Amino acid sequence: MLELNAATLAYGQATAVHGVSLHVRLGEIVTLIGANGAGKTTLLRAVSGLIAPKSGSITFEGRTLRGLSPDKIVRLGLAHCPEGRQVLASLSVQDNLELGAYIRSDTAGIRQDLDMVFDLFPRLRERAGQLAGTLSGGEQQMLAIGRALMCRPKLLLLDEPSLGLAPIITQGIFDIITNLNWQGVTILLVEQNAHMAMKIAHRAYVLEAGQIVAEGNAQELAGDERVRKAYLG
Amino acid sequence: MSLAWFLQNLLNGLSIGSVYAVFALGYTLVFSILGIINFAHGAVFTLGAYLTYVLAVGEFGLNGMLAGVTLPFKLPFALALLVGAALSGLAGVAVERMAFRPLRKRGADALLALVSSLGVALILVNFIQYLFGAEIYSFPPDILGDLPPAMLFQVGEEFVAVRTIQAVLFGVSLLMLLLLVWFIQFTKRGKALRAMAENPETASLLGINVDTFVLGTFFISGVLGGLSGTLIGVSFGLAGPYFGVSYGLKTLAVIVLGGLGSIPGAVLGGLVIGLAEAFLPPDLSSFKEAVAYALLFIVLLVRPQGLLGHNAEEKV
Repeated sequence: MLELNAATLAYGQATAVHGVSLHVRLGEIVTLIGANGAGKTTLLRAVSGLIAPKSGSITFEGRTLRGLSPDKIVRLGLAHCPEGRQVLASLSVQDNLELGAYIRSDTAGIRQDLDMVFDLFPRLRERAGQLAGTLSGGEQQMLAIGRALMCRPKLLLLDEPSLGLAPIITQGIFDIITNLNWQGVTILLVEQNAHMAMKIAHRAYVLEAGQIVAEGNAQELAGDERVRKAYLG
Repeated sequence: MSLAWFLQNLLNGLSIGSVYAVFALGYTLVFSILGIINFAHGAVFTLGAYLTYVLAVGEFGLNGMLAGVTLPFKLPFALALLVGAALSGLAGVAVERMAFRPLRKRGADALLALVSSLGVALILVNFIQYLFGAEIYSFPPDILGDLPPAMLFQVGEEFVAVRTIQAVLFGVSLLMLLLLVWFIQFTKRGKALRAMAENPETASLLGINVDTFVLGTFFISGVLGGLSGTLIGVSFGLAGPYFGVSYGLKTLAVIVLGGLGSIPGAVLGGLVIGLAEAFLPPDLSSFKEAVAYALLFIVLLVRPQGLLGHNAEEKV
């Protein structure tokens, strides 16, 4: 479904990702783990069009994403839930969710999905009229995920959904990610919390200093001595 | 200091202040999405006034390139106002393409955009002077058709005069303000605009085309500029191609006074300065142009962020 082929990504002169190849198949949860600064976020940013690859290719459903701006890429069915949540603080929770459906115009379907998100995160329903900036960190994460779902993505890119959250809330978020996957959403999950990510993922890639150093079945990889030592402590 | 005196000044202040507010919102919209003051806004204000004049009166002045040219038609004032405003909106779009987009695409410093917008302002003003000449234009007294120039209301022993033009100023401005608030608060595109003002990157991830919205914002800003130029022009005349520049500077005081980037701030700032000018004692009237800046300095001493501005707080 998503395929990166020898993608090299850079900010100006500083290369962050060196010739990485990876793929995500329809229906999978694939996780990308690695230390801070390994290039995980950069990789997601390239997929959603926020940065242009220096070389190599990125394709989605067989179609190259080269030269497409982020707002075009969303329309292909690829939602990016960015690092640090990035909710629109000055807008209400409901407005945030409705803007998640910006690319759609089927009013009835949007209503329905709004209800679906509210069922998924009842806290958001209680706070629908509140400004997003006043939510707690966990609630903001729920909002960010809910907002990404509002465009009915085929592939959801999640960047560090556990960042800064209490373990119990993280557990809840991960349960929901698993649930979404059962409902048919393909997921590419970037996490520092490798332990939890490996538990819910089908396959995993380990990124180190901009290169993939290990990949494979998540359970097998979790058993790998090197990976255990470096990331699962 | 009678009631009639008070009401008369209140009326004068609100009517001119509401135009300042509309003009100021043109700056505010652009500032809130790009974080840049568009110095060409004053030139678009001038352009709007001249365009409406020509469309409504049908002829150009005496010493410009187009001196003696007459249009085959004359539009009714209301229609000329609308067409003039729409053309000003297009001028706003041109300003964005010329002064802002090329720099934005290169990720240039905001200061450079400021300088280039100043350059576009000069080009525009000189272009206006070239075409329309440097003389003063005045709308003919019957520009509003058969409406009486003013209506008198008795208050106690005295009279309060409501000039028809004042009513037009206030009515049109109020309508524009309400339209704008409705658009920004309640429509999908208005919400997208707010999203972009807060975080362009997140907005783009939601499918919002940033370039289109920047262009749209400049269009609306140009409409507001051209419209307020016409309103001031029809009330006080068009004192040459540079007349927008002084209003442009004064309106900068309005937006800083109200709080940079704040929409309610721009409206409040416009009304405050309009009222302050109106209530200025007659023997100080030669200081009228200084009122805005004097108020600005006083307010900034007490509230550096302006009346309704707030220091950005970021939640990590």
